Amino acid sequence: MKSAVSRIPAGVVTTVVALLVWQLVGSFGPLHGDSFASASQAITGLSSLARQSDFWSAVAQTVEIAAIGFGISVLIAVPLGVVIGLSRFAYRSTKFTFDFFKVIPPIVIIPIAILAIGPTLEMGIFLVVFANIFSVAIQTAYGVRDTDPVLLETMKCYRMGTWSQIRYARLPAAASQISVALRLAASASLIVAVVASLIGGAPGLGQLLGLLENAGKTSQAYGVVLFLGIIGLLVSRAIVLAQRRVVFWSGK
Amino acid sequence: MEKSVNNAITIDSVSMEYQTAGGTKRVLHDVSYQVSEGHFVSIVGPSGVGKTTLLRLLTGLATPTNGSIAVRGQELHGPPQGMAVVLQDYTRSLMPWLTVAKNIALPLKRSGLSKSEVAERVMSSLEEVGLSGSGRSYPWQLSGGMQQRVSIARAIASRPSILVMDEPFASVDAQTRFDLEDLVLKVRADFDITTLMVTHDIDEAVYLSDEIVVLRGSPAEVREVVSINIPFPRSQVASRNDPQFAHLRTRVYALVRGLE
Ligand SMILES: Nc1ncnc2c1ncn2[C@@H]1O[C@H](COP(=O)(O)OP(=O)(O)O)[C@@H](O)[C@H]1O
Ligand SMILES: [Mg+2]
Repeated sequence: MKSAVSRIPAGVVTTVVALLVWQLVGSFGPLHGDSFASASQAITGLSSLARQSDFWSAVAQTVEIAAIGFGISVLIAVPLGVVIGLSRFAYRSTKFTFDFFKVIPPIVIIPIAILAIGPTLEMGIFLVVFANIFSVAIQTAYGVRDTDPVLLETMKCYRMGTWSQIRYARLPAAASQISVALRLAASASLIVAVVASLIGGAPGLGQLLGLLENAGKTSQAYGVVLFLGIIGLLVSRAIVLAQRRVVFWSGK
Repeated sequence: MEKSVNNAITIDSVSMEYQTAGGTKRVLHDVSYQVSEGHFVSIVGPSGVGKTTLLRLLTGLATPTNGSIAVRGQELHGPPQGMAVVLQDYTRSLMPWLTVAKNIALPLKRSGLSKSEVAERVMSSLEEVGLSGSGRSYPWQLSGGMQQRVSIARAIASRPSILVMDEPFASVDAQTRFDLEDLVLKVRADFDITTLMVTHDIDEAVYLSDEIVVLRGSPAEVREVVSINIPFPRSQVASRNDPQFAHLRTRVYALVRGLE
């Protein structure tokens, strides 16, 4: 028989342990002090923020930047990836460039983005798109290329054209690749939206975080970070659930 | 089955070479053969001799280096009308994201059939292969033998005049294999389909065929064409006990092995 302990989901255990460690380090460890908040202080900070409308409008701005940026990335990168994946030449010639851009952290182009666009919502969106577009396009192209040649030849034998092959074979075959790319992109969108606002001065939680730090409101600043962690987790969870429904055949 | 003098497929002095990193690989040399309309022809030969290569040429997926192929009098340029295929690897040739019924319906998209006609075709094809209840399943929910039945149903749904199969039963167990062999005989008789099958199983070739083409050599040539005059309809027990059967399989075996 299973013991009561082993029936608790592993994620809950690690979360509780992590919170405890955080709490202990924050209360007794070398980090103890004004610039570090313990878990309980962060939670208190977050609950006081949650009563302020400034906080929620910053949340809305960050989510807006992340969501629009994510949406634009998907709308451009997936079709682009399909087109690139269809041609061996296009794949070979773009792979190097895209891999190169993929590893450039969006943070290093913030100065350029600020000069070109200014510290605005649009700048944030631009950074999010820049952060995602290359990796999503490459992953999509890879998935499209990776379509089983036996399946494609079978379709050719049945005289199904290029469009049918894309629609019924290449896109579904790439779907699990694409969904993994989208899950990573969703988390990245959120992080980049915050960074764009923290460093680049776009509106949102990053700016708020800076203000709280400067005002010495450490526990509220940590409350913002905790909040970001929670929505990051929820978004990623939601995408995993959606993925299981959409790519239901995966691994079969 | 000497009912027709027309040729379903004419292979005329076909040679095939592949360009590889190590140079030119000659696979087929001067292969000529005519498949009579309505016949069941098996292609046998040692592994790697060029059987699949020959099938790829016949299906229009590849073009011969020399010579020409005509299907029902028309020279081949790409996959021809009226031909259907069944490959060995059913897991790779069926779509896991479509139900069995949709897998079968897919090649009918541009056939000009109405929705209800397509549905009717799918139903009757499933019935023909003994899978009436499985239309809504996904291929990966079925056993290997059932998946290969789906491939056969997809093939006959387009009412082909020619069916081409590459080692269709190589991945299923022995009992399933016998069942599928008999299914293919039934399908061929019901629809009067010219059938061309690659197999490495000599007993299977003798059991199913009107004629067996033996490929040998490197590059491969047609070593011999063996007529199988065991009467139709055939049955696993009676036909395999026909005194001709043992004689023919020994002969084909010797030809494939180069022991003649
Ligand atoms: N695309 C290809 N490029 C180069 N060589 C190939 C290719 N396809 C098959 N071959 C070679 O041609 C020969 C015949 O292959 P194949 O027709 O698959 O044989 P079989 O089906 O009789 O086992 C083999 O030596 C194989 O390695
Ligand atoms: Mg082969």
